[in-house]
Amino acid sequence: MNSLKPLLIRTLQLALVLWAVVTILFLMFRLMPGSPLAAYIDPTFTEEQQEALIRQFGLDKPLWQQYFTYLVNLLKGELGYSFRYRAPVAERIWLLLPNTLILTFSSLIVAYVFGILAGAWLAWRRGSRVEVAALPVVLATRAMPEFWLGMVLLAIFSFSLGWFPAGGTRSAGTDYSSLWALYTSADFLSHLALPMLTLAIYSQGLPLLLMRSNMLDVMKEDFVTMAKVKGLSSYAVVVRHGARNALLPVVTSFAIAVGYQLQGNVVVESVFSWPGLGRELVAAVLASDYPLAQGAFLMIAIVVIAMNLIADLLYTFLDPRISHA
Amino acid sequence: MDAPLLSVKDVSIAYKVGALDIVAVSNARFDVPQGSIVGLVGESGCGKTTMARALTRVIADNARIAAGQMQFAGQDIVSLSEKDMNSLRWRDIAFIPQSAMNSLDPVYRVEYQIVEVLRDRGGMSKSTARKRAVELFEMVGIDPGRLRDFPHQFSGGMRQRAAIALALALEPKLVVADEPVTALDVIIQRQILDQLRSLQRELGLSVIMVTHDISVVAYICDRTVVMYAGKVVEDCDTATLLNEPLHPYAMGLKNAFPDLHSAGTGILTPIAGSPPDLANPPHGCRFAARCPFATDQCRVEEPALTEDAPGHFVACHRAAEAVALREEAKQPGTWGTAA
Repeated sequence: MNSLKPLLIRTLQLALVLWAVVTILFLMFRLMPGSPLAAYIDPTFTEEQQEALIRQFGLDKPLWQQYFTYLVNLLKGELGYSFRYRAPVAERIWLLLPNTLILTFSSLIVAYVFGILAGAWLAWRRGSRVEVAALPVVLATRAMPEFWLGMVLLAIFSFSLGWFPAGGTRSAGTDYSSLWALYTSADFLSHLALPMLTLAIYSQGLPLLLMRSNMLDVMKEDFVTMAKVKGLSSYAVVVRHGARNALLPVVTSFAIAVGYQLQGNVVVESVFSWPGLGRELVAAVLASDYPLAQGAFLMIAIVVIAMNLIADLLYTFLDPRISHA
Repeated sequence: MDAPLLSVKDVSIAYKVGALDIVAVSNARFDVPQGSIVGLVGESGCGKTTMARALTRVIADNARIAAGQMQFAGQDIVSLSEKDMNSLRWRDIAFIPQSAMNSLDPVYRVEYQIVEVLRDRGGMSKSTARKRAVELFEMVGIDPGRLRDFPHQFSGGMRQRAAIALALALEPKLVVADEPVTALDVIIQRQILDQLRSLQRELGLSVIMVTHDISVVAYICDRTVVMYAGKVVEDCDTATLLNEPLHPYAMGLKNAFPDLHSAGTGILTPIAGSPPDLANPPHGCRFAARCPFATDQCRVEEPALTEDAPGHFVACHRAAEAVALREEAKQPGTWGTAA
């Protein structure tokens, strides 16, 4: 089997992309106005104290040397030291990353499962009143800003009805023996519900519309007609041959959606005070905590790149024309 | 004489396009005798494919069988319930599509697609179905080692053979082949037609061969039904059609194809003009506008399909003068002047 070589090439390509991201991140934060230490240095510090700090962070060195140190540190897994928390950035990120990933993937999975099923169903009901009524609704959900949707859901389900908590990941005063215990607790899940729903409603439109239009195309293909001529069951015709083929581009869109979702998270995490990377990123930028912002950006980039790799692999698995080409 | 396996009687099939009803097949009538290959020939848009697909009752959403009967082994396909029709599909009436490329699902291995029909429609176990798939591949001349391939790994000829293997999977009584060799080069065409012929003899199949290619008809068909603008214009055994056609359209078709057996002039004579618009069919004979022999009667009164000699049906007012018309039809000048 020669399947390892394309995988290797793909991984190398992605490593190159990652390097470019890392470099852009490095330059971007150095191009920002104001001294990176402005937030860190108290005006009461003496000149000598300030210079000592600048030296301590290596900011007195030439740019290429800083870049080199930065790369070496990254390879060692060191993301630097947060100005604001006076703690390693990596520590902070590992604490927040799971929250973001849980929110992202739970909402995307809900959105995609719903979108794929509803899209296939609408394609099947092509031309019916249900379809005519459903399409504008779906388009409207695509057009709604997610912060607005989040606030509406908060107003209804949290403030008016009181069914769900308004923000955070757990109720005050609760404690869990492990992260696993936290993530599986009813308390955590009820906190997750609204932000998850916001993102899911916001993202279901893409898979739904994509699935619907693919399905409409695929159902006209000769092999679907032949499945009917063979007298196969409607399940075999619609699902085994129709939906299975219509699904292919939707899988790719999932990976792209993860990228979009991480952007969307920045907004939704802020609305719901969800302690994730997105909210941290906003806070870090506002507080000029450059190492932390840089680390958060990097982490988001890594997740997006990894998802692209996974989508590629999944696609080769789902579409034999690609793996055997 | 044995009762025919399939007897199509006055079948009309209409497409709804906007507010219009376009009758693609009107009052089609022909028989398919047990164990023979019947050609359904005509130019694009003459309704031959629509007719063929109607036999499986999987037709376009906007199409419907408006009238007629299709008696198949004692049952009328037109009036069967969907459930009964479905049990007839593939087990009794199989289909070989024109484009075998697109008729195989690209995401499944060929073996899976054969096994699928054997299990779902033939009730076989997985292991029996696999053995049968090997048998079928051997039968149509593909190395069974290629069963585990995906459709895109097959050549055009192999795909067509795989489509034939699929069609024969459940040993149907009737195979409807819609332009099964049109997309292939002539060498492969011949191989596939030979294969189909020998399998047909071996298994005692009846085959309907839809084609626009008179040479395919001449090569393989026992009987031939000529269609023009949705109508059956001539229906007889193939040798008679080629040597003593009664309908001017059939005479013209013969002139339009090269004849390898006679020295001849080597000049091909096309039939001038194009078929009428089916949304607004002409009065009288539908071929009249292109027919060099058309009379005033032809332009007003539609000729009925009548049995001129035993087993030879034709729809032409001047069928009685066919001997003279055939001579005239051989002159290239006759066709050039048609309006």
